[in-house]
Amino acid sequence: MPQVKIVARNFMDMVASLPVMKLDMLYGNSFICEAILRSLPPLAKKYVLQMLYIDIPITAKSMEEWVLPDGFSKHKVAIDRLIQLRVMMETFDRKKEATYQLNPKFQFNLQKHIVHGGILPREPMPSNITVRLPSLEELEAYAVEQWECFLLNLISSSEGGKTTNISSSMMKIFKRGLLSQRDDREPPRLTESGFQFLLMDTNAQLWYIIREYITNAEERGVDSADLIAFLLELSFHVTGQAYNTNTITDLQRSIIKDLSDLGLVKLQQGRKESWFIPTKLATNLSISLADTTSRKQGFIVIETNFRLYAYSTSKLHCEILRLFARVEYQLPNLIVGAINKESLYKAFQNGITSEQIVSFLQQNAHPRVAERIPSVPENVTDQIRLWESDLNRVEMTPAHFYDEFPSKDVFEAACDFAREYGGLLWEDSKRMRLVVKADILTEMKEFLRRQKQ
Amino acid sequence: MTPVSSKLYADDVSLLMVLVDTNPYFWSSMKNTAFTFPKFISHVLAFLNSILLLNQMNQVVVIATGFNSCDYVFDSSTSSMQRAECLLEKLEDFVDKDESLSQEDSVDGVGFSLLSGSLSMALCYIQRVFRSGPLHPQPRILCLHGSPDGPGQYVAVMNSIFSAQHSMVPIDSCVIGSQHSAFLQQASYITGGVYLKPQVSDGLFQYLSTVFATDLHSRSFLQLPRPVGVDFRASCFCHKNTIDMGFICSVCLSIFCKHHKKCSTCGSNFGEARKQDPSASDQRRTSDGS
Repeated sequence: MPQVKIVARNFMDMVASLPVMKLDMLYGNSFICEAILRSLPPLAKKYVLQMLYIDIPITAKSMEEWVLPDGFSKHKVAIDRLIQLRVMMETFDRKKEATYQLNPKFQFNLQKHIVHGGILPREPMPSNITVRLPSLEELEAYAVEQWECFLLNLISSSEGGKTTNISSSMMKIFKRGLLSQRDDREPPRLTESGFQFLLMDTNAQLWYIIREYITNAEERGVDSADLIAFLLELSFHVTGQAYNTNTITDLQRSIIKDLSDLGLVKLQQGRKESWFIPTKLATNLSISLADTTSRKQGFIVIETNFRLYAYSTSKLHCEILRLFARVEYQLPNLIVGAINKESLYKAFQNGITSEQIVSFLQQNAHPRVAERIPSVPENVTDQIRLWESDLNRVEMTPAHFYDEFPSKDVFEAACDFAREYGGLLWEDSKRMRLVVKADILTEMKEFLRRQKQ
Repeated sequence: MTPVSSKLYADDVSLLMVLVDTNPYFWSSMKNTAFTFPKFISHVLAFLNSILLLNQMNQVVVIATGFNSCDYVFDSSTSSMQRAECLLEKLEDFVDKDESLSQEDSVDGVGFSLLSGSLSMALCYIQRVFRSGPLHPQPRILCLHGSPDGPGQYVAVMNSIFSAQHSMVPIDSCVIGSQHSAFLQQASYITGGVYLKPQVSDGLFQYLSTVFATDLHSRSFLQLPRPVGVDFRASCFCHKNTIDMGFICSVCLSIFCKHHKKCSTCGSNFGEARKQDPSASDQRRTSDGS
């Protein structure tokens, strides 16, 4: 079965994959250094801090002395990560021993930070100009609404009520992996990864979209390093404060416009000036991309009789539930449905796995049931898994069929050969026919050719 | 007492309570050395900055331990930027206030700073964080202490240590004075923290960042200084002297340097000590631990 998985790893993998030149350029920006440091595993952070004021290279051997035997694997992971992100340079001295030293630019920026303390990327606007700023709750609600509206637009271009202002070309890029359209007359259908996308939590979804946004930056004539720098810088702004749009470049202004459609910032227009207000989605950008464990309140209650109650007014939630459950009726603040074999088979056909459904239900469990262990009844989770394994009763193995062997000896030799390689699937010694796995085709060919000679 | 509830934060999110010794008598005694108070504070500021740099959810609270009083001087959750200015301003106010509380003009020696008070304040703060909800950072206490131990605070300090142990809060101690501190040795030993007396006080920042910046999660993987020897001596309850041998009340375990007729803590009557053999059975070593 082909595994299509959306890799929602993290921002820093993307940074690590940038070419050396660009990466070194990024480290000229102190916000990026800070964000990178914070994304590192705890041990790696510790090493950076420890080495910050050491100007000479440190040998790998003396670094190994810092850790206890138990922590050796963690130590290895930390060192690899540091080298991958070019935070630490590995050099070999005359005796062929590995020595490590911090990236000088990175080191300089962090030293500056430690001595002078953190600084804001830009000053917020005074409150006498920005008359009434939205409260944090209003801002949060705005962000959630924008994001859901965007998602609805993404999955069903016709529905969604309010359309977002994201340019259709951008929308197309986002839809590329998630939707497929056979021809123009048919409405586009969600692909396997599209279904999986909907079941991910907001941070993972956000990351997927941002990743697409970054990778397609070059097509729009935007340098991806600039874009990454700006996104990371944005995450250091204070949520709910207003920042004047005059302080950013034209390029950044166009990025801000796109981000406001996603709910990362709110744009407001005053009498003379305009400003942007970062929402939680934006300020969480650098952490949430590093680890996706932040939680929000759930809304789903599942009973042992497979009935499902979702306390939500969101159209998006209803759409998502429809992916794997039969929605029976909808009240203003409640969606009632049931999980049954048919609805799950539909989901499995669409490429959703039972694990994804179960983890979605667990992550979004209503606070009343979330305290219970397990939050989703065991018989429901077991049944979901069983129904999935029912579909996978037949296992397919690509294979090759051989017959018309010249003699019994050749046939038996071929059988033994295939058995030796662990590739024999079936044999019929009476009629001298045999089936072998496709993996060993070349070896088998070679063997039979030798037999002929 | 609420138990330490399960954390949902990442492993290395920490709440660091820093107790800074501001005893003016101690710092004036350090005047002739290269390590003065401004230098010390600049090391500490850099250290605080680096803790806050490591994770944006990290929280730092600074408590000044003065001669007569102690007070919170900095809390990273309430003041956003200009940390250094904010802290220094508060610290100056605190030192002035602390000085005005002094009644006597002269103190013999360097005097003692109010460690028990600041330890209790730190623990109170941590308790409040524990009760604020299931989501809280992992707390630890760091004592940057220079003044000698005040035997008069023995009972209060020990009580703080035990309550820290009970709520599983490690107390790290970094001794910047010339002598080891028996109180802090015991505190770190009992609560599972790190005790360290830097050899070169000029490199304080390096000690702080190498040893004391380690979050609790990473401590299980890293080599940290291990206690060499712990001074378990106790103070007597009657004269607050540090003693090797003494009398212990068999009912409430109070410690006395001399034989009394009645326990001053719980009021139990003691029998007559046998005059002929003063080192007899009811005189025990107090260093057997808690």
